[in-house]
Amino acid sequence: METLTKEIEKVEINASEIEYVTYGGEHHLPLIMNLVDQELSEPYSIFTYRYFVYLWPQLSFLAFHKGKCVGTVVCKMGEHRNTFRGYIAMLVVINSYRGKGIATELVTRSIKMMMESGCEEVTLEAEVTNKGALALYSRLGFIRAKRLFHYYLNGVDAFRLKLLFPRLELHHLSDAPLEE
Amino acid sequence: MAEDHTGESPTAVPKPNSIPSGDNSVWADLSPLIKASSQDLQEGELIHGDNFNLFAAMSAVEIMDPKMDSGIVSTYYSLDEAIENGAAPVPISADKTTDVLCTIDIMDHLLACEATWHKGHSLAQTVYSCLYLLQPERTSSHALLHSYCKVTRATCNAVLSVVSDTRTHEEEDLFTMTYDLPLSEDRDERCLSMLNAVEETISRQLRACKVSSSKRRVSEDIETLQSNPDLEEGYCKALLCRLRFRKHFYHLLMSMKRPQGRGLELARKHIASCIVEIDHIRKSSEFLRASAQEMSKQNIDNTTASGCQPIGFDASLNSRLSAPTPPRAIKILCWEKALDYFLKLLQDLDIICSYSLDPSLEAAFLFVVKFQKSHPDLVSRAHLQLLLVQDGKLYGRDPIFSVITKAAGLPEATKNHDIQKNQFMVQLGQLVINLLKILCTNSAWQRRKLGKMLQDWRVTCVQLELAFKEFVEASNSPRTENVCFKIFQHTLAWVEEQTYWIASRFLILGFELELYTVHDYCMVYWYIYVVLIKLCEKKNLRMAMSIGAAKKKAKKKKDSLKDSGMDYQIPAAVLFLQSQMYLAEGLSMMLAALRNEHKVVPPQSPFNTEHEIFIQQFELLQKACLPDRISYMSFKESTVHANFSTLPMYDYFKEAQRIAKEVKSSFANDPDKMAELRRIEQVAEHNSIALNVICRVGAHDPSLNISFTFCHHPFFATAIVKRS
Repeated sequence: METLTKEIEKVEINASEIEYVTYGGEHHLPLIMNLVDQELSEPYSIFTYRYFVYLWPQLSFLAFHKGKCVGTVVCKMGEHRNTFRGYIAMLVVINSYRGKGIATELVTRSIKMMMESGCEEVTLEAEVTNKGALALYSRLGFIRAKRLFHYYLNGVDAFRLKLLFPRLELHHLSDAPLEE
Repeated sequence: MAEDHTGESPTAVPKPNSIPSGDNSVWADLSPLIKASSQDLQEGELIHGDNFNLFAAMSAVEIMDPKMDSGIVSTYYSLDEAIENGAAPVPISADKTTDVLCTIDIMDHLLACEATWHKGHSLAQTVYSCLYLLQPERTSSHALLHSYCKVTRATCNAVLSVVSDTRTHEEEDLFTMTYDLPLSEDRDERCLSMLNAVEETISRQLRACKVSSSKRRVSEDIETLQSNPDLEEGYCKALLCRLRFRKHFYHLLMSMKRPQGRGLELARKHIASCIVEIDHIRKSSEFLRASAQEMSKQNIDNTTASGCQPIGFDASLNSRLSAPTPPRAIKILCWEKALDYFLKLLQDLDIICSYSLDPSLEAAFLFVVKFQKSHPDLVSRAHLQLLLVQDGKLYGRDPIFSVITKAAGLPEATKNHDIQKNQFMVQLGQLVINLLKILCTNSAWQRRKLGKMLQDWRVTCVQLELAFKEFVEASNSPRTENVCFKIFQHTLAWVEEQTYWIASRFLILGFELELYTVHDYCMVYWYIYVVLIKLCEKKNLRMAMSIGAAKKKAKKKKDSLKDSGMDYQIPAAVLFLQSQMYLAEGLSMMLAALRNEHKVVPPQSPFNTEHEIFIQQFELLQKACLPDRISYMSFKESTVHANFSTLPMYDYFKEAQRIAKEVKSSFANDPDKMAELRRIEQVAEHNSIALNVICRVGAHDPSLNISFTFCHHPFFATAIVKRS
């Protein structure tokens, strides 16, 4: 899976004009598919989209500007080797709307939902060349856990990014004495 | 599944050829059920069963969508259809000149395909996109093409077997997918006799045309290669270098396969010949381009020397024939790049062949690490591994236990000791072999495997320690005289040292793979520093033990009265590590001070803190307790008070520089260590200056800009201080 975000200023818009909605049903599916098809390199079948949005509709969000869908995030969560883990499958903002914090807002909403649902960590893959996405996730506390050799069909390597949520007891025990 | 609306029993009468029922399964014909339920499903809808996971969803293809169903874009339904349509004629042309040129194009494109395969694509989409290769017997009437196809198949087979035997392909799994491609027919050496015969004929044709052109008469006794006398010499030469390259390349692979590195010297000769032929192939391009000017289709991907489109290739055919071919069309490397690839491969193989097969394990580790610095590709790495580990022995020659005792500084006599049958010693031997293999994989894969392996080394350490204790308690004889005692003691020290060496390599590889951002540097250098402290300590202990043992022996022999313990000095190898250790400590303290004085502000995540980042970065090291009692707390404690008013009091960079300078004389004969020491000196010096500038100007000065680069060292950063 992959994410694409590049910081390019293009359209003059006000952040308050962007409306964010949770995946609301069949009518949203073509909007998501069109965006992903346009912007990401990997080909996904309709089954892949349905797999995500039917099972975890609460983790997928769309961003609208004056009725036009300009960005989307698609996610899942589940058990993975004894940890309950969230996964960001696709994140897209159309080119002319990048650099406005739309991707950050979309992905932040998903991560919050995952956190509230009891996830211990969140992972995703991003192309090593996708500086915009890497910077975005770094700001959110993700680390580059692994490099995946020739991960994408186009031969590019990927980073597996990981975000570990704090475990409450851990912080109470170890951080307290150091607080100045 | 949906309900059966029709009421028909789906398992009515089993067909005579249905699959017999097994112990836990009954096979039934589901067609009527599916037919009935299909009316409930709209196009694109999905029934979600528990076993329909992400992988299943992603593996599903939408039929007729060219983005996923690559079979849809293919021209032919079958190989027979392609051949019937004249896609791969034999001969390629009735005109002999055209036939020769087309054959050369096929050779060139095949070479480009082969390089593309080596780079990690499937055989079916690259080399076996050649229709001539798919039906080996079809070319038998065309000696030139036939011999070239034969040797190409044999070569692919040889490469494939090395890569699968060494299991290096785990990292690049497409490489060894072969399905039912006709590969195995050419295992025999006969491909070479045929190639030699063809080469011989063309050499005679070349000689004949040279004679005839100088004497201006047509030689009657030898049939010419083709019909145009002006082009005869050029074509003969263009073919000869291509055939000879194949011949030497095949010989080279066979020589490298010989056990215990016995064929390495011969392999080097073939490598040299291959390099000469590549040069000739490259130079033939000018002639081929000139003579192919009026040729039909232009080759937009430039996969041939002539610039013509090769005949007889169809990459889409295999994606229709063999289902697991990756769905996307791939780009074949251009001819120039393919030649560059082979040249690099040959150079890398030459480095392997020139290795001295040093019986020291440390030398073998360092050789691999150095070899990896030039980013060798899969095929050469597989060959290196084949050389290092054969039959569970180093170079197929030295039993692992004897290699370990040598590395642990034990006397020669211990190498056959019965203690090697101890289960933990056996386990250790396996770990060493695995380590050698892992060091040969690509950096991304290597780091992951090393990380996982740390736990195993740690466990072996603990087990050996316990076994050692039990042994000491059970043993009655005086400790120092007991060989088993000595073997346990030395081996344990060596295993501990090795474990920290792996840990340091794991951390350092993160720089090469760009896994760290500038905000991670502080904790990463700090962790490298704590690992290096332990590595120095363990190395020092192990070396002191060996020196002690050697001196004792010497003392006995000479009956000297001098005490050996008094004149002990820190070995140069430990000092070398210490210079790196101070550099890591200096960097971590400098970065901590920058953070503490708000000169470098790490991102404030809404979701987690530095503590979680630390846990994630060093998860595998922490799990293996490497080092013991090291945690986020200890990192915080040692960095929280770092600031620029106290840092210069103890300048770690100056210390690193001093040690590096001092220890140089001990490595005068080791160019690699010398180069590393020079790099350390450079980084240390630059950082020391940077530190002083920051202290003088004051970290709070807003005009001060600080950044980090790797211009002097691959993993020790150099601070760049600028005033705007």
